[in-house]
Amino acid sequence: MSNISHYLHRFKASLKIDHTIRDGVAQELYAHLEDKSRELEEKGLSKEEATKIAVQSLGSPELIAEQIYETHAQGSWKEAIFSALPHLLVALLFTSYYWRNVIYASIILALTVAIAIYGWHLGKPIWFFPWLGYYFMPVVVSAVLLLSLPAGWGWIAAVIYIPLVLFVFIHIMRQTARRDWLYASLMLAPMLVTFAWFSSLGRGNELLASDWAARLQTNALWIVISFVALAAATVAFIRLKPRRYKIISLLIPPLVVLFAVITASGGNICSWSWLLLLFALSAFAIPLWMQAKAYE
Amino acid sequence: MNYGRELLKGNTDSLLLCLISREPTYGYQIVKQLQKRSNGYFQFKEGTLYPALHRLERDDLITGKWQILPSGQQRRYYYITERGKQVLAKRLATWQDFSTAVKAVIQPETT
Repeated sequence: MSNISHYLHRFKASLKIDHTIRDGVAQELYAHLEDKSRELEEKGLSKEEATKIAVQSLGSPELIAEQIYETHAQGSWKEAIFSALPHLLVALLFTSYYWRNVIYASIILALTVAIAIYGWHLGKPIWFFPWLGYYFMPVVVSAVLLLSLPAGWGWIAAVIYIPLVLFVFIHIMRQTARRDWLYASLMLAPMLVTFAWFSSLGRGNELLASDWAARLQTNALWIVISFVALAAATVAFIRLKPRRYKIISLLIPPLVVLFAVITASGGNICSWSWLLLLFALSAFAIPLWMQAKAYE
Repeated sequence: MNYGRELLKGNTDSLLLCLISREPTYGYQIVKQLQKRSNGYFQFKEGTLYPALHRLERDDLITGKWQILPSGQQRRYYYITERGKQVLAKRLATWQDFSTAVKAVIQPETT
């Protein structure tokens, strides 16, 4: 691999933004390196020496990538608020008995689906990912509910439905993570918070017990706090420029959820629920792990 | 802390706007112009220019357009926008006032 190709490869590997912007900047750097190398060759240097000096003059590709990232990664206040909106809508559902009202719940569900589809057609802007997370929620819940269909039908439906859902879900996750794994975290966050609450509300195998709705309502205040924390973290994520601060902002919701769950339950959670809860919350640390891996 | 480097860092945007306002130009030419016009005073890692150009473009002070040269090579030319012209005019006026005031302070008093 030539000096220039190697340099551009390092640059592209370090820059996690929309690939059209990334490729555009890489093309600019390539033109710059070509101009500089040609000029040095005209002064009598060999091709190899010329490209080596041209690459050194540009400086660290990782540093340029970091600075370009900070320029393009900060969303506007409008984008930040629109990204936090689905979390606030869910929090609103729990502030009263709205979540048990079919009309309110249906309006919010329809709104989520419509906005997620709209965002997809707009080319997946940054605000789209939290909405996509909620879009997947009913799909995942349907898969769980299928298992409760009578006499064997549930398993037949689940065998067809769950692999199909998993296939689509993994495909979208891979696509999103390829663009930026932090966006994948933004998408997963609402599902993880919901899963954390679900697992902590259940008692062993009574996850879908008849009184789960009552338990949900009893803990409504803490659930609202969890989703408001998620909304605040999303605003911080969109507005902050440095990538490391974005990662830190994504680590705040699991800590709030953990505190809320422990406080709400008075620590009375069975070991199986603890396991599920910690599994869900530790998934928030994936971007941190991925980032550390990228710098190895 | 290198004082000269800090000064350059604080005024990079104005210098870039100034060069781009004279004629549409591209990254490598900007580096050459900066070095030539400053008689080699402005020395920096050339790659830091591109984040600065993209920041100016994001703030709608300049706009970039790809052009294909007769040789087939592609270059991204930057043009100053109306907003960029206004911002540059304000910054140059501020700089002139600042420079006059600094000179007045550091020059020995003539009584």
